[in-house]
Amino acid sequence: MSPHLILVETSDRHRQRGRLLTTIGTVLLIGTYLMLVTTQPDGLVDGLGQGVALATFAAYLAAAILLLAAVLPDLPVSTLTLIPVALALNILLGQLVGSVMIPLYLDSIGTVMVGFLAGRRAGAATGVLGTLIWSLFSPTVLPFAAGAALVGFLAGTAARFGALRRVYLAPVAGLFSGVVVGVISAPVAAFVFGGTSGVGTGAVVAAFRSMGDSLLSAVTKQALLSDPGDKALVFLLAALLVYALPGRLSGGFDFVRRYRVLGQRGTR
Amino acid sequence: MAGSSLHPFTILAVAAAVVATTTAAGIWWISAAVITGCLVLAIRAHCARKLVLLSCAIILPAFTSQLLIHAVAATHGTRILLAAGPVTITAEGLGLAAALGLRTAVLVVAGILCTLLIDRHQLVAAIDLSKAPPQLGYLVAATLFLLPQLAGKQHAIGQAQQLRGVDAGWFQRLRLRSVPLVLGSLQDAAIRAPHLAARGFPATGSRTRWRTVPDSPCQRRIRYAAVACTLLGPLAILAPVWMGA
Repeated sequence: MSPHLILVETSDRHRQRGRLLTTIGTVLLIGTYLMLVTTQPDGLVDGLGQGVALATFAAYLAAAILLLAAVLPDLPVSTLTLIPVALALNILLGQLVGSVMIPLYLDSIGTVMVGFLAGRRAGAATGVLGTLIWSLFSPTVLPFAAGAALVGFLAGTAARFGALRRVYLAPVAGLFSGVVVGVISAPVAAFVFGGTSGVGTGAVVAAFRSMGDSLLSAVTKQALLSDPGDKALVFLLAALLVYALPGRLSGGFDFVRRYRVLGQRGTR
Repeated sequence: MAGSSLHPFTILAVAAAVVATTTAAGIWWISAAVITGCLVLAIRAHCARKLVLLSCAIILPAFTSQLLIHAVAATHGTRILLAAGPVTITAEGLGLAAALGLRTAVLVVAGILCTLLIDRHQLVAAIDLSKAPPQLGYLVAATLFLLPQLAGKQHAIGQAQQLRGVDAGWFQRLRLRSVPLVLGSLQDAAIRAPHLAARGFPATGSRTRWRTVPDSPCQRRIRYAAVACTLLGPLAILAPVWMGA
């Protein structure tokens, strides 16, 4: 029986529209990143600085929204009901971790879990939506929507290629994902906000700056110090939570069955 | 609430236009005037205290970070105010940090004011009535209304664990609260899916909605003008600078 009870109608035109939006979004994201990295515009608040900040903000946000528009209409109902739970868990677990005074974020566990259970498209959609909703409470996260989409996308990709079949592979995949996400998100922090939004991370960037690094280089190095560790831990915790799910629950996701995401564990 | 007679998209479009043009202008007194204007609006809507508290929680760490990066570890500027070891404070660095702080403050204050003025039920209804995919309205609504539910569930789990006498270190506390919360929430989501699917979700075609969102031709015109301002305002401000460069 179809998992949706009502079969989803997908026409060629619909599929082509999704592919087109995904391509435009990806090209916009990569193009903006390459442009910023290769030109490294001078002046953050004078001359071209304001334009660069606005253009970076707009391009990263537009890319994220295009990716969301490409993915959202195709998501099955089982994934759609999972996403709000994941978004709420991102916020609540982030707050819970903050309340125990440990120097971690862990605010993307829900996004990574969706990527593990429902695939990279659902993971990317969760990342963008999570940022859009979180921006209602903290508007500065808005331009980081593309980075959040990347976290979900990479989690789904890692699960598809077997990162959950052995428990030690999950943090390794998280480590690599953290590097990619840190590098892609650094230009937003550098050119939109002129650095970072936290005092601790700001001190690290300041230390690199005082050693003679450019702003983009200092922010990228800071991101490479914090993001891989955080994502490795998030991937590990999300994997442990997925292992703890009853088999009938995790096996209910088509992605988990099709790509044997849990390997031997899935056959219990 | 002052925003209740306004369509949520009108508030968002005006805020986007204000933030985009103020950022493009990059003039300190315009940014300060926008922030003051937001505070006046918040006072009229009786949410000034909330606006100040929520905004400060974001702006203060961001501004401190910008001070550290651009003022304390300044790598440019000729007017040196203080030089001690790796710390070099220049007047230009302080000016840059202040300008970046103001830019961030405009975004934060305008954004949070929007959140305080917009009624979440109206926002969900407005998304549903718009041309956005029906899934988007569901996801926004479900997340906003799940948050307090899950927070309550998390509190109940914490109390239950305390009653059991489990009050170990932070890791155990985190584990014993988060694992039941996550598993229970995913179980609920799995149960919800077939019920929603059986009711034809996501619905295609038009449906009757009981909730109406306040709107008017005047508001629609304001929205179009605000969107045009968001796109063209920065271009109009920055084009002469680019030509000069």
